[in-house]
Amino acid sequence: MKRLWTLFKQGIIYENPLLMLMIGLCSALAVTTNVSNGIGMGLAMTFVLLCSEIIISLFRKVIPSSIRIPIFIIVIAAFTTIIDYVMQAFFPELSKSMGVFIPLIVVNCIIMGRVEAFAYKKGIVDCVADSLGMGLGYTWVLVAIAAVRELLGNGTFAGLQVMPDSFQPILFFTLSPGGFLVFALFISFNIWLKGRMNKTQARRDVAKEDAA
Amino acid sequence: MMKQYLRLGLILAAFAVAACVGLAFVYAATSDQIAANQDKQLNESLKGLFPDAEGFKDVTADMTALAGESKLETAYVATRSGAVLGLAIKAHGPSYGGPATVLVGMGTDRRIVGVRILAISDTPGLGLNASNPGYYVKKAEKVTFTGQFASKLITDGFVVKQDVDAITASTITSKAITAIVKASVDSGESWIERNALGGN
Repeated sequence: MKRLWTLFKQGIIYENPLLMLMIGLCSALAVTTNVSNGIGMGLAMTFVLLCSEIIISLFRKVIPSSIRIPIFIIVIAAFTTIIDYVMQAFFPELSKSMGVFIPLIVVNCIIMGRVEAFAYKKGIVDCVADSLGMGLGYTWVLVAIAAVRELLGNGTFAGLQVMPDSFQPILFFTLSPGGFLVFALFISFNIWLKGRMNKTQARRDVAKEDAA
Repeated sequence: MMKQYLRLGLILAAFAVAACVGLAFVYAATSDQIAANQDKQLNESLKGLFPDAEGFKDVTADMTALAGESKLETAYVATRSGAVLGLAIKAHGPSYGGPATVLVGMGTDRRIVGVRILAISDTPGLGLNASNPGYYVKKAEKVTFTGQFASKLITDGFVVKQDVDAITASTITSKAITAIVKASVDSGESWIERNALGGN
């Protein structure tokens, strides 16, 4: 249980796909102009990641390594299309506002990377923990970046006006340069946080040794 | 060697077949709902353009082809107790992130009643603001991008950044939507002329 918790935690800070592994950035920058898109994209991507990791892990013994990449793409593309249909059927508004980025989950490096580096080698339970952690790590970063960009670039939060009318939206934050800037700030914050957590951990270890 | 190729091919085919069968089931389960959503959206848009209309008649077959790269999908005549109120034209054309589908309503007085964007793929926060009811090209008057076409005469200018306000940082999308609107109303005008309804 402790091992699964550790795996789950990895994706949130230590190996955050966006802030530490730095993969899947393209669509992350593109959808983070408003919070509802961030949540939608995060959940859609977590669903595809979870299902793909489960299927790949389940069949990893019968997938020959020479044709594993095409098989990964078939599996990922199938689940992406499924979530695309489901969103069109049951969340038409969200599906409309996500634009082209749902179909683009197919080529999201995070899924390809996790399937190749993790699911192809590990058991199914580990994969569930890993994909949920990675998915949550992806989602929180998207929502946090989107919150900053939407608030400064549009004066709203999840579509609701929160800034006073006198506030002149800074369009810079909606455009890609602003996206890069906010994103870079988040990366440095995460590195600082990781450093602090390492120090605390080290201090705890020393304390433990002293006690012993 | 041959046997190895065959084995790999068969494994790949097996995964592809399984994925297709799975997709077929999901498609079957969702396609009715998706079609119903689109119908509902179209009906709501038609009702929104012509709230007084009692019925809509499909007149797609009588329409002339659209100019430029825009393609006509369907056209409806809005009627009320036998009288024609106007024409609603559903057309699509190329835009920034792929084809955009637009519904244009025009009255028999050659004025645009309204413009609705039915489908568009674009960047959230930029081009997608074309269909955002909370995004205003004229902030003070709260006029949306599509809202600015309302009650525009079709003989007026349709040049983006002169006669039509563009969406900030999305000139391509603004021009694309405007081109579809212009092509639609031109075709609509010729229908109105041929059916001798103009000028009343």
